[in-house]
Amino acid sequence: MEDLAKEVLTRIVRKIPVVKLRQVLGRWERLSERQLRSLDFTQPKWALCENLLSLCEENNITVKQLAEIEMLYRTEYPDQGIWHVFQFVDTPEETQCSDFMHFRDLFKANLKSLINHVSIQMKKLEDESVWIRIAWGENFRRPNHLKPTYVVHHLQTPYVFVSGLTNKHKPLLFQALALSAQCGSVKDVNLSGRCLSALRDLSMRQYKQVFPISHQECLQERDPLPNPNIENEHIKLTEYKQQVASEVFGDAVLPKLETAVYKLETKYREHGNENLVKKDEPFRGVVKFSSSNLLESLKYCVSSGMASAPVTPLLSSITQKGRNYFVIKDKGSGLIPNTPGPKF
Amino acid sequence: MGRRVVQIHFLFLSAVVCYAMEERDSASATPRGKAPSNQSRKSYGRSRRSLGVELTNIGFTPGHLAGLRAPTSRELPKPRNLTEHVNPEQIALLVKNEWKLSYITPLYQFRHTQLKTYSKQLSAFIAAEKQQGLAVEIEADTSFRVTFSAVLGLAETEDDAETVFIQIHSRPPFAVEGDAPKVIWSGWLTCINGNPEYLRSLPSGFVCLPLFCTSGSESLTSVVKLWFEKTFDCNFGTLSLNSTCLQWLASMWTGCHPAFNIRYLKLVWNLPAQPPLDISYTIHPQDAWDLWNSIREQDSAADTISINEVESFMKGLEAHFFRHFRIYLSAGTLTKVSTTFGSAHCDGKIKFTSGDSIKHVLMLLTEYALLKMPI
Repeated sequence: MEDLAKEVLTRIVRKIPVVKLRQVLGRWERLSERQLRSLDFTQPKWALCENLLSLCEENNITVKQLAEIEMLYRTEYPDQGIWHVFQFVDTPEETQCSDFMHFRDLFKANLKSLINHVSIQMKKLEDESVWIRIAWGENFRRPNHLKPTYVVHHLQTPYVFVSGLTNKHKPLLFQALALSAQCGSVKDVNLSGRCLSALRDLSMRQYKQVFPISHQECLQERDPLPNPNIENEHIKLTEYKQQVASEVFGDAVLPKLETAVYKLETKYREHGNENLVKKDEPFRGVVKFSSSNLLESLKYCVSSGMASAPVTPLLSSITQKGRNYFVIKDKGSGLIPNTPGPKF
Repeated sequence: MGRRVVQIHFLFLSAVVCYAMEERDSASATPRGKAPSNQSRKSYGRSRRSLGVELTNIGFTPGHLAGLRAPTSRELPKPRNLTEHVNPEQIALLVKNEWKLSYITPLYQFRHTQLKTYSKQLSAFIAAEKQQGLAVEIEADTSFRVTFSAVLGLAETEDDAETVFIQIHSRPPFAVEGDAPKVIWSGWLTCINGNPEYLRSLPSGFVCLPLFCTSGSESLTSVVKLWFEKTFDCNFGTLSLNSTCLQWLASMWTGCHPAFNIRYLKLVWNLPAQPPLDISYTIHPQDAWDLWNSIREQDSAADTISINEVESFMKGLEAHFFRHFRIYLSAGTLTKVSTTFGSAHCDGKIKFTSGDSIKHVLMLLTEYALLKMPI
């Protein structure tokens, strides 16, 4: 087996945890039952890797077939690396492609015409999503399977989720996608994160905002010893805060976002610093919110009072507009998050 | 009896803690600061005895903290070329790592002339501890070599003791002749512009190097600390940096901007949401400096900055943030400040990326170390 294939296999075995590797190899279907059974998954990884290598050599497995293992793993466990969301724009409604075979052939043909050495694998999953794995090569170099790009596209929607794409290959990929989907161009939605399902929910508005009917019962239920003689002084205020939090963020399970970045280019307008206020230039800065579950944290901030209600449109835009990168400029008298992306 | 003594001991320490937090009070009106130290002057000695610690002269000296107050104004740093005074190789050592901070109580009979002896003693001590089975994460056959060196030129005043730098090198068993030994741990003790009243009031035989910075494995750090405690009868404690300290650093670094480009001012807050939320605000250096300057114009003194200015600066930034996001940053804690000069974390970690403002940061840290010490 050639060196590149060995390296790809070693990388795959090293990256994937043993339990998951076992499942994935079972679904791979390139090894016979007997060969699979001969693998001892309790061995240390380097030993397992060597055994797997010899089995693959027996079957004359190519690099492209090895890459299938990685793709199987990635489709099963998509929440690795950062996914960026893009959208097709200027799509004439009638020509929206909903046939996988058609899209696959178009995409492969288009991308191969743009770049010579490229390895493309496409797969359609049960949830109507198309997964594309692209290993990029150059004029005199074979495709690099160690740094592939993954693209996920739901055929009936204009959204595309991309992970592992370098700036060099960006225009090539977008052109191929635009041609295959028969749209004008591909625009950046300014939404990114690790959890693919969260990004999907946010962008496709599948995330439902449940509006609360009333909070009275909730608060009273939480009180362990309801005593009619004890009155909570702040009960109205607490209810109001919780209501606002629910209105903005909803009561259902929130999509798991990790960060939100705001690039501020507004003027400084606080009291007490008149010299600064007179200046016409903006007070530049970048604010980054990060948390293991950003929307939950923000909701907690609102309901606990750390963020004062009413919630500013800057924060509610994350769910309303489905994005987490904003450039904020002064607009007239208020602060409106800029939408350099497409309007919808 | 034992219980009562412990209670007094805690009262003394808690008075120290609230006193350190009351940096905003003016220096004149602090009766609270004086009273407990008078009361517990004798009881402190008693409590130390009852805790099994050897009684030293410290127990009988007058309450030092009466003289130490968190300053309400500081000298504005003028970053100057440190290489004029300090050997550039040694500066490179200081700039390399991220340091974990602790404070040390004054060292009894520490001599700068005995550094070679200390090196040998510490090597032997580490070897002995390893034999005893102390969990040091290095292969059994590695031998250690310790070097103590003095970093001359950092000390600011006559009362400051010279900085001492310690390195632990490891020599793996099959090292070839000429192989450079790997540095696996480094640490340094320093005192920059320590409070002169305090330093002069120490009894003879004591050297005060209150700031201890370490970089390396925790197990080695604890072995080194143990050796220091045994040899010089001192005590260690972690030096965490509270938000006031970080705010001073942010203001000092911003104030340096015209002379030395700080490139950015980054402040990180942590809000106690569920799950916890980190907010980092990176400000363009020129705009940060403009804000700082506009606050400073009301003050005439060009060389010093006062706590009021620092507070106004931070309030200005928080207000600008609030206008956009309507989140109260004061509900959280300031955890990290960084510029191109370096970064400081509230857990007591500091990193210098250039030798330029080291001295002023060390002055600030020395002060905090002296304030935090229980003696």
